[in-house]
Amino acid sequence: MLRRRTYEAVSGYLFVAPAVVLFAVMGLYTVGYGFLLSFARWNGFAPHWDWVGLQNYKDLLWQNPAYAPRLHHAAIHTLYVMVAVPLLTVLVSFPLAVLLNSAKRMQGVLRSVYFVPYVTSGIAVFFAWQYILQPDGAVNSVLSTLGMGSLAQPQGWLGNPDTALPTMIVVTVWGAVPVAMLLYLTGLQGIDRSVLEASQLDGAGWWRTNVSVVWPLVRPITSIVVLLNLRDSLQGFQTFLVMTNGGPGDHTNVLGLEAYRLAFLKDLAPTLGLASALGWILFAAALVIALVNLRVMRSKT
Amino acid sequence: MRTPFARFTPKTRFAAVTVATVLSLTPLAACGGGSSGSGDAKSLTMWTFKQSHVAALKNAAAQFKKQTGITVTVQAYGPDDAYTTKVQAAAKTHDLPDVLEVHADGEDFALGATGIARDISKEVGADWSGLYQKGVQTSGTVTPAHYKESIPSDSKTHGVKEGQRFSVPLTSGTFGIVMGNKKMLAAAGITAPPASYEEFLADLKATTAKDPGNGGVSLGLKVKATGLTWGLQPLAFGELGKEKYQALWGQDASADFASPDGQKVLGLYAQMQPYWMPGTQTLDIDAADQAFAQGKSAWDIGGTFTLAFLQQNGMNPEDVMAFGFPGPQAGAVPKPALAPLALTGLSVSATSSHPENAEKWMKFLAQPAVASQFAKDATEVPSTELGADAASVMGATLADMTKAFEGAPENTYDPNVNDFRPPGYDQDSMAEILADLTPLKQKSPEATGKAMAKLNNNFWATANK
Repeated sequence: MLRRRTYEAVSGYLFVAPAVVLFAVMGLYTVGYGFLLSFARWNGFAPHWDWVGLQNYKDLLWQNPAYAPRLHHAAIHTLYVMVAVPLLTVLVSFPLAVLLNSAKRMQGVLRSVYFVPYVTSGIAVFFAWQYILQPDGAVNSVLSTLGMGSLAQPQGWLGNPDTALPTMIVVTVWGAVPVAMLLYLTGLQGIDRSVLEASQLDGAGWWRTNVSVVWPLVRPITSIVVLLNLRDSLQGFQTFLVMTNGGPGDHTNVLGLEAYRLAFLKDLAPTLGLASALGWILFAAALVIALVNLRVMRSKT
Repeated sequence: MRTPFARFTPKTRFAAVTVATVLSLTPLAACGGGSSGSGDAKSLTMWTFKQSHVAALKNAAAQFKKQTGITVTVQAYGPDDAYTTKVQAAAKTHDLPDVLEVHADGEDFALGATGIARDISKEVGADWSGLYQKGVQTSGTVTPAHYKESIPSDSKTHGVKEGQRFSVPLTSGTFGIVMGNKKMLAAAGITAPPASYEEFLADLKATTAKDPGNGGVSLGLKVKATGLTWGLQPLAFGELGKEKYQALWGQDASADFASPDGQKVLGLYAQMQPYWMPGTQTLDIDAADQAFAQGKSAWDIGGTFTLAFLQQNGMNPEDVMAFGFPGPQAGAVPKPALAPLALTGLSVSATSSHPENAEKWMKFLAQPAVASQFAKDATEVPSTELGADAASVMGATLADMTKAFEGAPENTYDPNVNDFRPPGYDQDSMAEILADLTPLKQKSPEATGKAMAKLNNNFWATANK
């Protein structure tokens, strides 16, 4: 009996071992390695790390005039993205989900159509966006065709410093809406029909029902959508790397892109530690945002 | 209570446990090092970031195989940033090829400092380096100036030693070459290259007046440093002359970008504002060249290497008028020459299992007959000295470009000389400010000069700590 129990225990441990080993190697080891790296100067190949203590953090935040001003500029752009993307995502995806939820026919087809941006998001789509936004691209052509040529951007939507960041925000929202919409749909379908019927019996119309009954009930979903998009806005950089490389000039440089540049695009300069320090600063910011969000959620629900 | 495992037979349980054990060890195995070195005694692998070199290198490899029996496999990865990360990743996983094409006199030193490229100073004797043009015979060698740049611990080449050699040159040429579409130029009444910057501006005015949509100049400004290094710098050299040009990056406030000299140069450069191709600030170098090849711009700023790419994109080199970025008429050097420099070089990876074969291949590419064929196949200026045959080998347009190399040393803009700039200088950050002057038109020359001088002083402050 004891032998059998031991055998089963060993079997059990072996079954969870792949996940545990994966977590230990890919999770704990890399996190620990990255944290230590943030206190060192290293180019990725030199045999030794030069320990610099907190200098990387100081250099990034205020001390080194070659890095700190760039970071401050990128932080302002990131802040714009962090405010605009979650807000616009909620403003677009919630009404879309309400409309889809009330559709009587072809709900499945429509849901798939609105989910397309998510499944097609990738490098190729961002290249396609670039073409669409060029001076002779589809956006300007459509505006001209509709008689709104004065709104067209002669330098392209990514070429004008005033429109480049807002355009990047729109493209990011376009990629974020599908998941947010699905989350809202899940929330809407979980609402007890009797609550909606009660509000209608009380004389509430479609608008009043959605604003005063449905919206408060899906607030936890809103919190999740906001949190996910805040995190993506804070740390994401792929779209910016492919579509603008931080340009024109540095008008769309964001913190994630700056971290990537410090890590991989400095021609083997010893800036990996700086990149890692920036990564940890972003992590700390994400943690604070998550805690604030949790607090807000608790107080409202 | 029955455990979930109880209903399985011992054999099934044993098999499941074996699978689980193997799975649990897989991540650890994946963390192990890969095989180092590449190729056997009769084969070599070479990586390049130049798609336009692949066919020419493959032709040379076929000849090399006939002579030596050694097969060379050529692979291209691009664009440049992707190549850089590919090389770094391969170095980490010990999957480097035997030979790497590199940006000469920069990337090769960084690769040498990190141990990715092998020091070949002992192997490259006078019989080998003597095959190259005089100006690039020592390319890839750590000179006293390069060594000085490497001394700060935050330098990307920190660790190299004077006299080490990490590459031999493959292609030569220069940046700051302006190309015009002969047909579009002729339509605007332009049949000869401009003799000065003022004439160039007048020509730009003529082509944009003739064709407002497509008559401008393209430049891949998404790669940030292009405007600074291919446009402003040759222009500043022409306007100010060597000493005052170098002083723009110095610590003397009376001579930097905020000074009257700096203002004059920035004011001149800003005059290009009306003539940029719409959206050129969103294009990388290849896309800007492609736009020129497609007739979306009448002018293109690039280098001697651009012609190969234009040809690849369907443009006949004979349809291109090429000349060096012209100097201002009243400038200190009205007709500046552009110094030829080694653009790309060849490095042997430190993990190559047959470095002697790699070196044999590199020396083979330096032979005049092989280099001539390479020049024809790739439409590039080879680093090998081709003597009197050079013009006929390279074709009329490429030969025209090399005319920009002709000039007295004091009148020659040499992009390879960088020791007057602050250690740790980052040209991309500087170029971002310049882009706000033109084409983005966000700052005046005065504000741009102040911002550039401030950033330059920041680099000096960091270096002087």
